[in-house]
Amino acid sequence: MRRDTLGPLLVLVFCFGYGAFALQIGMFPGQENEAFTPRTLPLGLTALGILFSLILIVQSLRADDGPTVGEMVRGLDWGRTAALVVLMALYGLLISPLGFLLATILFLIAGFFVLGERRPMVLLLAAIPLVVAFWALMTRILGIYLEPGRLPELFGV
Amino acid sequence: MFEGIASGLATALTPLNLLMVFVGCFAGTFIGMLPGLGPISAIALMIPITYGFDPASALILMAGVYYGAIFGGSTSSILINAPGVAGTVATSFDGYPLAQKGQAGKALAIAAYSSFSGGTIAAVFLLVAAPALARVALSFQSSDYFALMVLGLTAVSAFASRGEVAKALLMTVVGLMLSTVGTDLSAGVQRFTFGRIDLIDGISFLLLAMATFALSEALMNVLKRDDVGEKAQAATRGGMGSLKLSSKEVGEIVPTIGRSSVLGFIIGVLPGAGATIASFLAYGMERAVSSEKRQKEFGKGSLRGLAAPETANNAACTGSFVPLLTLGIPGSGTTAVMLGALLSYGVQPGPRLYTEQPAVFWSVIVSMYLGNIILLILNLPLIPYIARLLSVPKPFLIPMILFFSLIGVYLVSFNTFDIQLMVVFAVAAIVLRLFGFPMAPMILGFILGKPMEDNLRRALTISDGSFSFLWERPLTLVIMVATVLVLATPLIRGILRPRVSAAGEGG
Repeated sequence: MRRDTLGPLLVLVFCFGYGAFALQIGMFPGQENEAFTPRTLPLGLTALGILFSLILIVQSLRADDGPTVGEMVRGLDWGRTAALVVLMALYGLLISPLGFLLATILFLIAGFFVLGERRPMVLLLAAIPLVVAFWALMTRILGIYLEPGRLPELFGV
Repeated sequence: MFEGIASGLATALTPLNLLMVFVGCFAGTFIGMLPGLGPISAIALMIPITYGFDPASALILMAGVYYGAIFGGSTSSILINAPGVAGTVATSFDGYPLAQKGQAGKALAIAAYSSFSGGTIAAVFLLVAAPALARVALSFQSSDYFALMVLGLTAVSAFASRGEVAKALLMTVVGLMLSTVGTDLSAGVQRFTFGRIDLIDGISFLLLAMATFALSEALMNVLKRDDVGEKAQAATRGGMGSLKLSSKEVGEIVPTIGRSSVLGFIIGVLPGAGATIASFLAYGMERAVSSEKRQKEFGKGSLRGLAAPETANNAACTGSFVPLLTLGIPGSGTTAVMLGALLSYGVQPGPRLYTEQPAVFWSVIVSMYLGNIILLILNLPLIPYIARLLSVPKPFLIPMILFFSLIGVYLVSFNTFDIQLMVVFAVAAIVLRLFGFPMAPMILGFILGKPMEDNLRRALTISDGSFSFLWERPLTLVIMVATVLVLATPLIRGILRPRVSAAGEGG
């Protein structure tokens, strides 16, 4: 399948999903007779989204050129990108329990590692001073609260 | 007006605010240099840092970041032929050949002088145009605002490159869709929150901007295996050459700067056109008005070919502040992010800003100008050193960009759900980018979504549910006709293009 066919097709599916949820937006009794309701814009946008997606799909089918989906995904560094995405999600999950300092140091070390840095000393020296300096700037100078984490509680401190 | 300028100057010239401009220019230049990261990402990255600041200082920092990022984009175009943003693509046509000839310093100096001149001339136009338009805009009604927003949204799409118009329109619609998430302000009904408390206030603009620009651009860098550091090391290894220009060279670019400033400013004021179109048009115009001998130099290191897009680019950036400051309507992705920044400091741009908060209005304009000056006198000599910062290896640079983007949003809400949402949007943005969908129209649609719905609701309520407000009020009608004409532009271009191509269009 062509890249320019699949892309709009995915957005078309999104538009149908959006439209389905738009129909479920709650309204107060009698509101449906008003000129403008909370559903008006979402439903209008659904119609426009479907229209533009279909135009793009028809355009791509008529042109029948451009890269295929296979060509689009070939040669890309999926492994490292996916690893970084997982790391970001984990960072979001761990920042509260581990605290800002530990979670961020681990995130950066893991990020540097994923992108090819293997020397342990370099990993530590690149991550720890930066995070500690940032933490000091935020908490000590700008007075911004950063998560201390729940590890001390777990150890009964 | 002079009182306003004086109060703006008094605010901007305090030692703290001067430091802000300098830091902003420096940070903006560095971020803007990174291929893929342009002014939108640079400004978005800075918003959380400036939350604790006084609004004037924060805006002054932003102005520095904005101009710094544009200049940074030009630097990467010239040094490594990798434009940070579309607006500096035309800069690379003659800037990179100059750098290859060992004249990188001269090319950077021309870029800085042209940007400074373009920004200066456009700032003078802005001083006149913005208050005049603000006075006219006071008579605007809901229907006019609605029509203007539709014009802005369609214009961004209509000026997209060939074959991309429908994609840009679709992304605008997706942006508008995302803006409907949260509590509907008129009825208090929740929309698309799926029962989650985190979504009741809607999606944060900063979150969306960071995820779709900073995060996704950094991840795309990994996905496409680009190595900025290696290119930058190679570019700076042999030295930059002299930064000085001879009087003959100055004489050669002065008329170009004059022409391109006027063109750039006018294009910048038009909603949706912006820096990219202005730079390409200025490049094309300059080549057209040059003698046959000079025309042959274009693309091979022509000084005029470099000065024209750089001047127009900066003049257009200044021009794009006219609709933002006077109507509260951003005309481009960058000004949409600037609008978000202004709103987060409690500043509501629009016609009343000029009368109700003149100090803020003028300090924005004055600080933009200060940004230009600082860029010229402080940043230019520092460029060789900033370029070396670019050689920070990718394994270190990318995780740091990811960290600063994530923590920037987290520091505003202190909600870890926002980090997860950012990851989801970043992945979605990568997929959309791979399919060739542009992100700027989406962010513009998102930011204009709520005010557009608000104005449409009011206009429809006033006209008793009839869409006749679109043609009954002359001003609304004029704007809607302009919208139709703008939408027809790609069709006309499509009809004309094959003939032009056949005639041998280049560049």
